[in-house]
Amino acid sequence: MSGSWLGGLVHVHDDPDVEPAELAARLSGGDREALAEMYRRWSPLVHTIALRSLGTREDAEDVVQQVFVAAWRGRATLRPDRGSPVAWLVGITKHRIADVRTHRYRSHRNLQALASEAVTEPSAADESEWAERLLLVHELERMGDPRATVLRMAFLEDRTQDEIARALDMPLGTVKSHVRRGLTELRDRLKEVERVASN
Amino acid sequence: MSHPTDDELADLALDETVDPGVRAHVAGCATCSESVEQLRRAARLTATPGAYAAWQAPDDAVWARVTAQIDDEDRREGSREGTGGAEQVPSTQPTSGPGRVTRLDRFTRRRAVAWAAGLVAASLVVGLLAGRTIWSPDTGGQPAQVAQVAQVPLSTLDTKQREGEATLVRAANGLDLRVVTARPLDAGNGYLEVWLINADGKRMVSVGVLQPGESGTFPVTQALIDQGYVIVDISKEQFDDKPAHSGDSLLRGQLPA
Repeated sequence: MSGSWLGGLVHVHDDPDVEPAELAARLSGGDREALAEMYRRWSPLVHTIALRSLGTREDAEDVVQQVFVAAWRGRATLRPDRGSPVAWLVGITKHRIADVRTHRYRSHRNLQALASEAVTEPSAADESEWAERLLLVHELERMGDPRATVLRMAFLEDRTQDEIARALDMPLGTVKSHVRRGLTELRDRLKEVERVASN
Repeated sequence: MSHPTDDELADLALDETVDPGVRAHVAGCATCSESVEQLRRAARLTATPGAYAAWQAPDDAVWARVTAQIDDEDRREGSREGTGGAEQVPSTQPTSGPGRVTRLDRFTRRRAVAWAAGLVAASLVVGLLAGRTIWSPDTGGQPAQVAQVAQVPLSTLDTKQREGEATLVRAANGLDLRVVTARPLDAGNGYLEVWLINADGKRMVSVGVLQPGESGTFPVTQALIDQGYVIVDISKEQFDDKPAHSGDSLLRGQLPA
């Protein structure tokens, strides 16, 4: 990972005051302030996905612009019943990134961008999953403890549920339930991304 | 047997101990197999090392580009449908004035480097021409010997409320930009700054500071206008060490060519 990613470090916070689902309902109702709130919360996520996928800040910022304009235009396709609109935004982001790629490879106008992409994107397998991976990182951050810690230990550190229970001094049943529900929630986010991105 | 629960499917995906009946059902059920596969994928993607994110926020100017593009599209739509409805005289009631302005205060302020291509759009002129005959505040104060070159209403970016007006006048020794607002703008803890943004959406110059509730007259040059600095913008600025535009625009309007 290049060190330049550390530049301009910001944290993504969710304001617990306004539930994401309520935000979704407000946006689909045409509330422009809801769009601004979504931008505050999730433009760093959208931008980071685009930056890692495309490699240039200019393209990444174009994608951010297009995603939020598309979110406004397509607010009728938002499904508040699917929970947080974050996965919906990430689905749109995947679309836009794919558009930029298609355009790049077709026109070959921007040789410089292609060159920098080659540097930051060594493998084709990686590029298709930045959106999902970063969304999951974001969702883990949002989840809060102890669930986030349990999931990190289970998936990132590959520790058994027994080990986690001992390490956190937590009943095994509680660990199990955090892992199950956490994983199911993360899976639901990915399904929503897929639904939007495949449209 | 009926479909296993989400918990049972999660256990199966994680290779935890599950009832043999569950395993047998999933093996023969396409829906449940797919579900387990999706859960495994979620676990795998969460486990990807190196996915730790150093979140990088886009430049503040990107939000201005978003609002400019949306406004631009709304305006085209409005002109296609021939709805003059948006062109209304602002209410004289002292309602929630600046509170309706969409702001991004919580972002760290950074340099507004690139401005929108969307801002460039020539179609910005649509509607502005119509507006100027409708809204003309306080023209009585204007000295007769001053020749008006151009005039434009200034509106909020989000709701399109017309809350002010900018007039370019030819004064004795050059051009003056006069800015008036319908009611005092809220500068919060900061101050109001007037800008001329180039129609190319990339460059801008500050022409001065506006006192809330007062009109301001700022000397500008013909060369500036000729070079395309025709978008009048009033921003809310903080007393910080950043001379660039904060990205927090309260009112805006483009002078007709």
